[in-house]
Amino acid sequence: MRALRYFVSEAAASLWRGRGAAALAVLTIATGLFVLGFFLLVNTNLQQLIDRWSASAELSVYLNDGVTGEQLKDLDTLAERSGLVAERTYVSKAEALERFRSDFPDLAGAAGTLDSNPFPASFEWRVKPDLREASGAIEGLVAAVRHMPGVADVRYDRDWLARLNVVIRGARTAGVVVVVLLALAAGLTVANVVRLAAAARRDEIEIMQLVGAPFAYVRGPFVAEGVLQGGIAAVVALAGLAAAFFAFKARYGAAAAQALGADALVFLPPPLIALIVAGGMALGCVGGYAVARRVR
Amino acid sequence: MIDARHISKIYGRGIYALRDLSLQVDKGDFVFLTGPSGAGKSTFLKLLLRRDVPTEGRLVVGGRDLASLTPRQVQAYRRSIGFVFQDFKLLPNKTVLENVAFVPRVLGVAASQQQRRTFQVLKWVGLQHRMSAYPIELSGGEQQRVAIARAIVNDPVVILADEPTGNLDPDLSLEIMNLFREINARGTTVVVATHDRELIRRVGRRSVTLDHGRIVEVA
Repeated sequence: MRALRYFVSEAAASLWRGRGAAALAVLTIATGLFVLGFFLLVNTNLQQLIDRWSASAELSVYLNDGVTGEQLKDLDTLAERSGLVAERTYVSKAEALERFRSDFPDLAGAAGTLDSNPFPASFEWRVKPDLREASGAIEGLVAAVRHMPGVADVRYDRDWLARLNVVIRGARTAGVVVVVLLALAAGLTVANVVRLAAAARRDEIEIMQLVGAPFAYVRGPFVAEGVLQGGIAAVVALAGLAAAFFAFKARYGAAAAQALGADALVFLPPPLIALIVAGGMALGCVGGYAVARRVR
Repeated sequence: MIDARHISKIYGRGIYALRDLSLQVDKGDFVFLTGPSGAGKSTFLKLLLRRDVPTEGRLVVGGRDLASLTPRQVQAYRRSIGFVFQDFKLLPNKTVLENVAFVPRVLGVAASQQQRRTFQVLKWVGLQHRMSAYPIELSGGEQQRVAIARAIVNDPVVILADEPTGNLDPDLSLEIMNLFREINARGTTVVVATHDRELIRRVGRRSVTLDHGRIVEVA
């Protein structure tokens, strides 16, 4: 505890002495963490949308106009026997038209000018939540349904959700690459700032070595200095991110939430905030240790 | 306490800083190392501080063979040694009190003990009234007294001093030597390197004269 107090007080004093260079290091780390936080924030809100879409993912079986009652019964039986369908809804042609009018009121007039109802009747089958990842079984059901008499077309939302997931995964990977590069730059900056601090304290270090101070006492302040820089940078990054987020939310929050189909945009949850702070401190620790290990 | 047997220190291109030097210093002794510049005085102190190791021979201090110490054993060894340099090596951004307390602090001594020991040694060297001053505000003699206080705050068994009076006038030099004599009187072994033969004469202790890395006279 005494040693820890010594490390922190020496590190704080050293940071204050070299506050110009330290501020540069803090800003560099903060930039990296801000970008990381931004990716996490976008991901958190997009995930809401994907979760909601995934939860409502359904299989739509569009029917021919001349579908018979027997064929409808066969389809219903197939859905029930598959064990994949949690909920089955029949949407008649009239209901489909009504939905269109309700969802697109601007086009409702145009639909009214048509001689006949162009919307097909359909079955909407909601897949059981625990079976949504069983893509093989669902694809088998889709193929079977597609060849049933009376069926015009089959659409399964999971297909495009899967494609969307691929795109999002790609974006995440790109984000990780950017964050890693920024982290590397931040680590090097911390190392350089700590190296400057080590040069400024070379007399102290020499005396510590001559009096036989334990390595932990000689090196500890450098590691603590890196950790402090990283921690401060994380707080700066989170403060910047929160300011940007809440400013955006105040101006475009309602529209963005509507676009995402969410109740409201959400900020980073506490575990991710803790992750960013820990990440900043770890980054600083690595930078500080890289210098400290050379001090003997 | 110090047992040097046939030690040599050779730097690049075969230059001997010390050549076949043998010297025994008993516990509680006060020894001057003297000789012209380049005689090997500072090199010998450097070996005693374990900042370097002999190229040949064996150097044992307090029963420890200095060449075979691990890094952690070097730390433990240095905790038993106090050192004083010609240029004082005080930390300019720390006060007198902080300079002296720095040693127990980095050795992990409890704060209350740090304070007690620091006050004691500063009082002993007569600088209790200058505790809040920075080194730049002190005279050369005062700075060297702070350095001595720092050297003894950890209660070492051996004090090594390299030209401790090199930057001081004769009266102040004698004053500093009197402090070393008092330290020695308490049982601490003292080794002082100086080229000031007049000072050695006035203090009147054993002196070992080196020249070109060899002992040429013991008086």
